[in-house]
Amino acid sequence: MLPSKNTARVKPETDRHVLVALDESENAKRALLYAADFLGGSPGFRVTLLSIIADPSEDYFTSSSERDAWIKDKISRSKELLHGYREILVQSGFRVDKVDVKVEVKNCPSIADCILEIQRELGCCTIVVGRRGISKKEEFIFGSTSNKLLHSGKNCAVWVIE
Amino acid sequence: MVNQSIMDRGEFTQEDLKKLAAQCIGHVRVPDKFRIITDTSNFFSVDFNDILVLDGNPYLIRNYEREGRFGIEDQPKYWVKRAIELTTGKLKVIKMVFPEKFTARIGDLTFDCVRSPKKEARILELVRGHRNFMQGMSTKDSAGNIIRIIDYIRGSTMADYVLTLGNDHYEYFFEFFPPLLNDYIDLVKAIQFLHNSGEKHGDIRRDHIIRSKHDSSYCWIDFDFNYWHQENMFTYDMFGLGNILIYLVGRGDVTSQHLRKSSTSVFDQLITGDLNIVFNNRVANLQKVYPYIPDVLNNILLHFSFSADTFYDDTDQFLSDLEEAKTYINTFTK
Repeated sequence: MLPSKNTARVKPETDRHVLVALDESENAKRALLYAADFLGGSPGFRVTLLSIIADPSEDYFTSSSERDAWIKDKISRSKELLHGYREILVQSGFRVDKVDVKVEVKNCPSIADCILEIQRELGCCTIVVGRRGISKKEEFIFGSTSNKLLHSGKNCAVWVIE
Repeated sequence: MVNQSIMDRGEFTQEDLKKLAAQCIGHVRVPDKFRIITDTSNFFSVDFNDILVLDGNPYLIRNYEREGRFGIEDQPKYWVKRAIELTTGKLKVIKMVFPEKFTARIGDLTFDCVRSPKKEARILELVRGHRNFMQGMSTKDSAGNIIRIIDYIRGSTMADYVLTLGNDHYEYFFEFFPPLLNDYIDLVKAIQFLHNSGEKHGDIRRDHIIRSKHDSSYCWIDFDFNYWHQENMFTYDMFGLGNILIYLVGRGDVTSQHLRKSSTSVFDQLITGDLNIVFNNRVANLQKVYPYIPDVLNNILLHFSFSADTFYDDTDQFLSDLEEAKTYINTFTK
């Protein structure tokens, strides 16, 4: 029996939105392959592949044109990388329209904070990242994105792929 | 100080410069003729007794500065000269452009660094009037090089000063350390100000804090380093702040080598977790050496030790913990 027009409220199907944060590293690739293997072919998921380019200080460059060229090159390489990864997800069973690619140049005192900002913007329920496997000393000096995400992430799951 | 008629003319003859220089260094030491420089691109050629003219102001060049770096003491810094501002007679430090990109090494870790006059010029502007930073201004020479003109500070490094305090650690810790901790907290707040403004110091070391002989205030110097940070922009500055705190609490470096010779009973109790996470011969868990150091302070030091599971990401939590330690220490030392 069909529900009455007055009382029926068909809740639209909402995909669970997963954010995979990536860079050019092997551990990021492992995270992507894990997401493809784990979620590929499952209905009800959409994925955004994210690459953040920390807006570099002018101090590292001799001129603004050199800086602009660096950013342009970085954006181009990141887009190429993410489109390659998008293909992997599609081959694993994701529909083409369920995988987005996002390259962001942002002022990032902390990369993890920038990832969380985008997670909130997009309303993602899950973040997937790779773990670099750095030493305690390296974490102390440089910081750890995965650890920061684990500590600071709110209202979302964080998958750290070894 | 300056002869107004000379200034009014807007340019300086050799005779003008001699008159001005004589007021500063005495007639006897004035050379027969000055070499006048406006382009510092080849800073090696800027020499003693030259006159560097910047923004129409003449500076009489004196000696170059020296500095220890990465464990190597007293390296000449030919791009940094002391100079007398002839219009005021004031001593200045002139920092010329030395474009340098290098890989810094701390223990077995490496990262890319750059020496940036732009960064230092930007921060000089940002911290104008802040008592915990060196003061100065930046300008460009005739070739467009960014030159920083810094007020010379008479005094010593905080590191050297600390070593002169107290007959022993006990006396130092109860008499001299409490006010020193207040000064240190002010210095951390100054770094917090930089971080909140989107800047890092970049080279936080104990010899980059100068104690003014004039008013006993402390200020950060030399912020022209920048580095490609990874996850967190500020963690390297935090590492520097931690090392300085350990140095202040210990009244200098307390090393395992020294303890092995001077206090074997303490040395025998040390474990790897007690040591500085980066400098593996320095003791961070100083309570093992000086048991009267209270937990509230020692727990801060342990954040910089091998045993630490969590680190300070920024100055906020660090300052909060330091304030708590200060309150406690001020109570029991009164």
